[in-house]
Amino acid sequence: MLGSMLIVFGAFALIFLGVVGFDLIKAKANGTQYNMRTSFVAYGLLIPAVILGFIFVLLPIIYSLGYAFTDYDFFDPEGMTFVWFDQFKLIFEEFARKGDIFLSLINTLKFVVVVVPLQIGLALALALFVNNERKCVGLFKVCFFAPVAISLAVTSYLWKSIMSPSETGLMNLILGVFNIPPQSYIEDVNNAMYWIAILSAWQGCGYQMLIFLSGLSNVRKELYEAASLDGAGSFRQFLHITIPGLRSISVYVIITVFIGACRVMIQPYLMSGYYSHTMTLSLYMYTYGTRYHLVGYSSAVALLMTIVIGLITYLQRRFLTEKD
Amino acid sequence: MENSVVISDYEKMRRKQKTINAIKSTVYYVCGTILSLIFLFPLIYMFVTSGKSQGVFANDAGTFRMFLIDFSNLGMFATNYVRVLTEYDMYKYALNSIIYAVVAIVLNILVNGLAGYALSKFNFPGKSFFSFIILFLMVVPVETSIIPLYSIVVNTLGFKGDAAVFAVILPPAISIFNIFLFIQFFSGIPKEYEEAASLDGAGTMRIFFSMILPLSKPIIATVATFTFIGVWNDYLWPTLVLPPPNEWSWPLYPIQSALTTIQNITGVSEGEKMASLVITSIPIFAVYIAAQKYIVNGFGSAGLKL
Amino acid sequence: MRKVFKSILAICLVVVMLGAFAGCGDSSGGPNSPTIKVAFHVDKKSKEGIAYSRRVDAFNLAYKSQGIEIQASYIARSADAAGYEDKLLTQKSSGTLPDIITFDAPNCASYARSKILYDVTNLVSSDVKNDFITVNEYNGKLYGLPIQESSAGFFYNKKIFRDAGVDVSQYTVENPWTFAQFKDVCERIKSHCPTYAVDMQLKNTNSEMATYLLYPLIYAAGGQFLSEDGRTATGYYDSAATKNGFNFIKDLHTLGYTGYDIGDTDFYTGKVGMYLSSGWTIPELDSRDYAPFQSRDDWGLLPYPKDVTRASATGSWSYGVTDNGRTDKTNVIKVLEFLCSKESSEVVTNATGMISALKSVNKNYAVGSPEDILLKQLSTTGKARPVTIGYTAFSTQFGRTIREMKDSNDINTVISNRTSGLQSDLNMIK
Repeated sequence: MLGSMLIVFGAFALIFLGVVGFDLIKAKANGTQYNMRTSFVAYGLLIPAVILGFIFVLLPIIYSLGYAFTDYDFFDPEGMTFVWFDQFKLIFEEFARKGDIFLSLINTLKFVVVVVPLQIGLALALALFVNNERKCVGLFKVCFFAPVAISLAVTSYLWKSIMSPSETGLMNLILGVFNIPPQSYIEDVNNAMYWIAILSAWQGCGYQMLIFLSGLSNVRKELYEAASLDGAGSFRQFLHITIPGLRSISVYVIITVFIGACRVMIQPYLMSGYYSHTMTLSLYMYTYGTRYHLVGYSSAVALLMTIVIGLITYLQRRFLTEKD
Repeated sequence: MENSVVISDYEKMRRKQKTINAIKSTVYYVCGTILSLIFLFPLIYMFVTSGKSQGVFANDAGTFRMFLIDFSNLGMFATNYVRVLTEYDMYKYALNSIIYAVVAIVLNILVNGLAGYALSKFNFPGKSFFSFIILFLMVVPVETSIIPLYSIVVNTLGFKGDAAVFAVILPPAISIFNIFLFIQFFSGIPKEYEEAASLDGAGTMRIFFSMILPLSKPIIATVATFTFIGVWNDYLWPTLVLPPPNEWSWPLYPIQSALTTIQNITGVSEGEKMASLVITSIPIFAVYIAAQKYIVNGFGSAGLKL
Repeated sequence: MRKVFKSILAICLVVVMLGAFAGCGDSSGGPNSPTIKVAFHVDKKSKEGIAYSRRVDAFNLAYKSQGIEIQASYIARSADAAGYEDKLLTQKSSGTLPDIITFDAPNCASYARSKILYDVTNLVSSDVKNDFITVNEYNGKLYGLPIQESSAGFFYNKKIFRDAGVDVSQYTVENPWTFAQFKDVCERIKSHCPTYAVDMQLKNTNSEMATYLLYPLIYAAGGQFLSEDGRTATGYYDSAATKNGFNFIKDLHTLGYTGYDIGDTDFYTGKVGMYLSSGWTIPELDSRDYAPFQSRDDWGLLPYPKDVTRASATGSWSYGVTDNGRTDKTNVIKVLEFLCSKESSEVVTNATGMISALKSVNKNYAVGSPEDILLKQLSTTGKARPVTIGYTAFSTQFGRTIREMKDSNDINTVISNRTSGLQSDLNMIK
């Protein structure tokens, strides 16, 4: 283990030296120069983060991605051998016969499509709602943030009991008052992922609300004053001042919510379970990696997922920031 | 005569404006209350149920009564809370978690703050390498990395037995996301400040501690709050690395282990389970409310550019 | 400024002190030290945990002169088994396994194959080999000794049965009801139950619960799950008899006798007439926490129904010796034998209300009492869950079969999908 750690460290050190060399050559070509002293101070400041980050963040990820090319079984670590691309072949076979990994992908997509706009929309609406100087808005902010801090196990249990598909379920009793027939909610195999997405948005939007609030506090107040002197209504103000003011923060929110949504695992697991209609890619990875101990196979899925999410994130960044 | 008409018109307008404002704020507060209830009901449920006996809980399950306090037997509140606190040593585990969280927060701010400072305020060859690594680490899924992390921490670094506390406080000390937040925040601090300080002969560390950090209350509050929530809510990792509680010494497990234990012991009533949940939720809300004033600005005046 | 430095200094000091503390704290000694480490899957404060710790204390007192000592640790298991079992696996990977562990019997095969468990066939003297050791056999070798045993059955609300005019006194373990009679009783009590006739715990497919309670019904219908070696599902899990068993469960749902939306406490509050559950429900009903059940006159227990054969649920936790590098197992076996002794078994089963793994410990219960029914059922019709190294995959797929049957009118497709899924999982788990 120590040996392979040093090899990985050596490889990164080499890449780093390469980048340093490239930067120095580029600087020379441009006729600029780096200040030696500040450079070394900066390296010094980075040392604690580099050591901790290498050992506790980067190395585990590199290893787990490396396992993708082995048949590592957690029950039998000594028997690990390199199998190159066999795990990927297995994944594609599973995918081709529309096995569980195919269903997981479909369910994850269903979730992402609903949760990203919904969670961001809710967060923005809440942020606009509390972005004023009235009394008690602080209290509202605490309330909206509450689900972020409460154990997911409790909120899942509560939603499940409220959204019980039986006629005596709380939500169905309320619908009954308006003569709406009882619904199945999360138990409905076709729509389960959408319901989970709605509840997940409810649970998480408090966090993005804070980020939007920080964005709103940076929009200059004079712009609103000038606009209202020009007779612009509040909707037009929102459209022409608030939205552009939130652009860069929105890019960040969209990308992080998207990445989080692609990796959704605990919500479907707690609210439903590992079933054909609610398994997601991360849940699939958890089941095969942790419960069946097939670390090699699940790492291969993780590697593919990383590549795809990374590519999409890259495209989002280019697409969303180029319009500026 | 004309004058008074003008005044009364003005008065009317003012009154009208006043009533409109009153209606507006009534509507605002009614909406706010309803919204708050939608977000707060799990807490209400937790609190209400923590004062119920098992029989009352079972009777109320699935009806509107599950959100109402059982006024017929208010003594159950005291019974449940006292039992949970004394019988299951919750205070010991809570103290552990607080120590872990405080150490993790301090280390977190130092390590990530310094890194963010270097990456935002200094120009040096190889900077793009770090920016790329940070972006990469924010994207990759980490679900499977807990297994190699365990091998590294326990087998290679040898954090076993009581030394396992390092395995609990060191990994949360580094957070790629927090480095990112620090970079964003520090970029918003005008360069002139440092230049002035540096002309006065202050060294880098002194500038960082005596000028940058005091200016960074919002980001520190943000990082501290979310690190606290993270450490406080973490269950799986500490349970894996720490030695299990034994009979002869102070337990090392964090609060979430005690909570999971209580949730899964047969014979613990639902009221007691909810009482333990309420107890574990209180510190999170206390920290959040204390830091709330700053958090909004903590996400960076520079606007979180990815 | 000064303050900041001072506080940082203070924290550094604390960290250093913690480190020093850790340095001298590790007193476990070499691989053959006289300290035997034992891990239990329950919390020390639970009834079961208190019973274990009493036995540990008794051992330490009795063997003090010989210098052998037990160091016990108690890790509560969460509902999805995270915690205790993950901990064992990681301890295995870092070579820090305790000497004796407790484990759920169906995991025996995979633990044995992965060398977590140690072969004790020739180490344990025959007088402590208790009466249910077959659950811990894999490839003809013995890997553990059961702590206790379990059985399940149908708890019923006597008031609802009286109101419906249904008499079930003729159904005994020797002569249980048939699938058809079971449906008939459901039909007759249905209108007297506020919600459903029977809670089969169909919604608990996310944990081991549904598997543990429902697999005997498939066996009763003559079905099978896996081949003898636990490697093949095709041809077994999708056999006609297996389908009959699943069809029986599906019928109960289609006919409205049971549902997937029954609350955890609905039987206890009198909303449901019958409740499929294990022995641990007995102390809960005896506790008088629930208004409809104030004495044993208010509830009774019925055995599993039979179809082409009889079968009932078994399996509980066992003690196992681990393969952790200790070469001299003499003292470990002493501890194991002590924990499996008659006295230990009495203390533990008195606390849990479960059935002792030693027949001599089980009391003579009144004929027809719930305990008597469970005990008789265990010794006559008890049939263990399939033995396979891919047990987790089996249990997961079984749960999915139950859950996915709910929304499908074509149960054959569900079963054939789950069979192929299970087969491909078993192929991957080598």
